[in-house]
This record gives sequence, structure tokens and C-alpha cells, in this order.
Amino acid sequence: MFFALIGILIGAVIGFLLPYTYNSAYSLYVSVAILACLDSIFGGIRANLENNFSIQIFLSGFFGNSVLAAFLAYIGDQLGVPLYYAAIVTFGGRIFDNFAAIRRIWLRKRKSNE
Amino acid sequence: MKNKNPKIILSVFSILVGVLLASQIKLQVELIVPVTIRSLQETQNEINQINNEIIELNNIVMQKEEELKVLEGILEDDRKIEDILLEDLKYNMAIFGKTPLEGPGIEIVMYDNIDTIIEGFDINDYIIHDVDILNVLNDLKIAGAEAISINDQRVISTSEIKCGGPIIRINGRSIATPFVIKAIGDPKLLMASVNAPGTYGDTLRSVFAIGFEPEAKDKVAIPAYAGNFSYKYAKSVEEGD
Repeated sequence: MFFALIGILIGAVIGFLLPYTYNSAYSLYVSVAILACLDSIFGGIRANLENNFSIQIFLSGFFGNSVLAAFLAYIGDQLGVPLYYAAIVTFGGRIFDNFAAIRRIWLRKRKSNE
Repeated sequence: MKNKNPKIILSVFSILVGVLLASQIKLQVELIVPVTIRSLQETQNEINQINNEIIELNNIVMQKEEELKVLEGILEDDRKIEDILLEDLKYNMAIFGKTPLEGPGIEIVMYDNIDTIIEGFDINDYIIHDVDILNVLNDLKIAGAEAISINDQRVISTSEIKCGGPIIRINGRSIATPFVIKAIGDPKLLMASVNAPGTYGDTLRSVFAIGFEPEAKDKVAIPAYAGNFSYKYAKSVEEGD
């Protein structure tokens, strides 16, 4: 949990320091992809706590989900239907689900330690 | 090893997400809102409004150019400045109501209900009130009346129409029935504005049986405003160039 938070903070600092930016026309796709990545991170943390973490599943989810989400947003733009809502709802909901599971495992651990 | 590996991997990818997040924040994109039909229409209305403004401004520019031409004529000594100022004065007097005017228009004669037997509950329904006159005046103004008088009292922008019992006060003078309202404008339009079914004048006549006789005329004479008028509180604001 905390290593992921620290990692995101370090990444943010690096990102702010890096001079590179992308075209703002892609910002919608990137934001949906970020959401998918965050979901994968949370899923990974949960799996790690449950001791069934698999690198293959994590990597395929991390890249596959973000690419799919960005692709959905793009298709939606072409069709004139805001399809990226699907990604937002799914990944947003799953982030909360994963966080709830992480909380439970974590709190249970603390209780058993006491 | 198996326990440590996922943490490192997760950290590495967290860093990646952080970089993406930071670059997204750096872009500072405005909130993305889907384009709805409503927002489209709003934008269209805005564009139309701005276009209208542009047309108005162009008209003003043309007007000012004409004024400039007049002033240049003075420079070239074609006309004297006195002539132009006199013309201006005349025009302003006409606008204010200090000049008698004549032209095509209508004449309305209004009088109280002349039936001797009152059928109804309220005698007030059978006499003309200041409100009736005001409504008719307003209808005439909407129809494009250029000058209006009531019983030879010129209606100007400060003319009051006040109930005074059986009489009506206008321009500080009392007038009584029959009221003769004269208006200069397009006779057809003016007639329609007070005579067409459903208008205030028609209702007065057909519902309240009040005398209301509009008549289109080729020539209506409207006298000048007789009173004196000067601003006591209002001060003119200098037009900025």
C-alpha cells in the first residue's frame, strides 16, 4: 500500500521535472488509461496481500486495461457516444472494491498482531 | 524472493502511473464536457447576438462617417455652421415635441358609456379611466406612432396621465370626456392596433360599451408641447470619444 503511494509520489515528481508533454488532444484517452492503471495497481496490491500475485496477470491487466480504456474512449469520440463512461464506471468501481478488500485484510492483520 | 518481487514491480509501475498523472496535471486541460444539443444552441445564440452587435456597430460607424462628412463640408466652406446647428436644433425640437407636426394617422374619440340604464354591478366599468388611456397610448406606440396628442395636449416623454375623478390630468392640465387621441403614423397599422378584435380598444368598446371611435385620416395635426420643461436633477453625461 505505502510503497505504491510512495512510488506514485516519486513518479509525480519525476513527471513534473521531465520536460516532455504530449498533445492535449489525447488528454481524455490518457486520463482514462491512468484510471485503468490505478485500478491495476490496486488489484496488484490486493493480490500481493492475498499472496496470489502473478506478474503475468498484473502486466497484462496493467497494459491491456489501459489500452482498452483509451481505445474505448477513442471509439466513443468517433461515434459521438461518450463510451469512456464505461471505463470510468468500471475502473472507478473496481478501485473502490479493491480498496475495500485491502482495508479489510490490513485491519485484520493489525487485529491479529495485537 | 517471491514475497519481495511483487512490491518492487508494483512500485515501478506506480512510478509509471505517477509520471502519467503528473504529465496530465501539467497539461492543465479544461474540464471535458460532452457537447449537447443545448450547448450547441446556446453557442449559436451567442454567435447570432455577436453578429447583430457587429451589424449595429457598423451602422454606428456609417452614421459617424456621415457626420464627419458634414463637418468636412463646413471645413470646405460649402455651408455655414449656423445652418447645420439650426437644422440640428429643429430636429431636436421636433423630437422633443416643441414643433407642431402633421401627417397621416388616426384620430380616436373616446367617451363614457352613454346608456342611461346601467346594467352591471360597478359604475366604474362604464367610465373611462386613466389606465384605459394609457393602454391605448401604449398600443399606438407599439404600432409605431411618431407623435401623439390627447385633447390637443402633446404627449411627450414626461407627460403624466393621471386620474382626477371625472377628468384626466395630462401635462398638468385637466381634460374631460370626450377624449380625442390623435396619432401620426402608418394609419393602417395604428387602426389595427386599437381596432382589431382582442385589442384593448376593441375590448373597451365591445365588452364595456364605452364609446371608442377610431378613424384613419390622411392628415392629422398635432400641436406642440405647450409647457416649459427643464432638467433640474438630470445632468447630461459627456459622450466619451
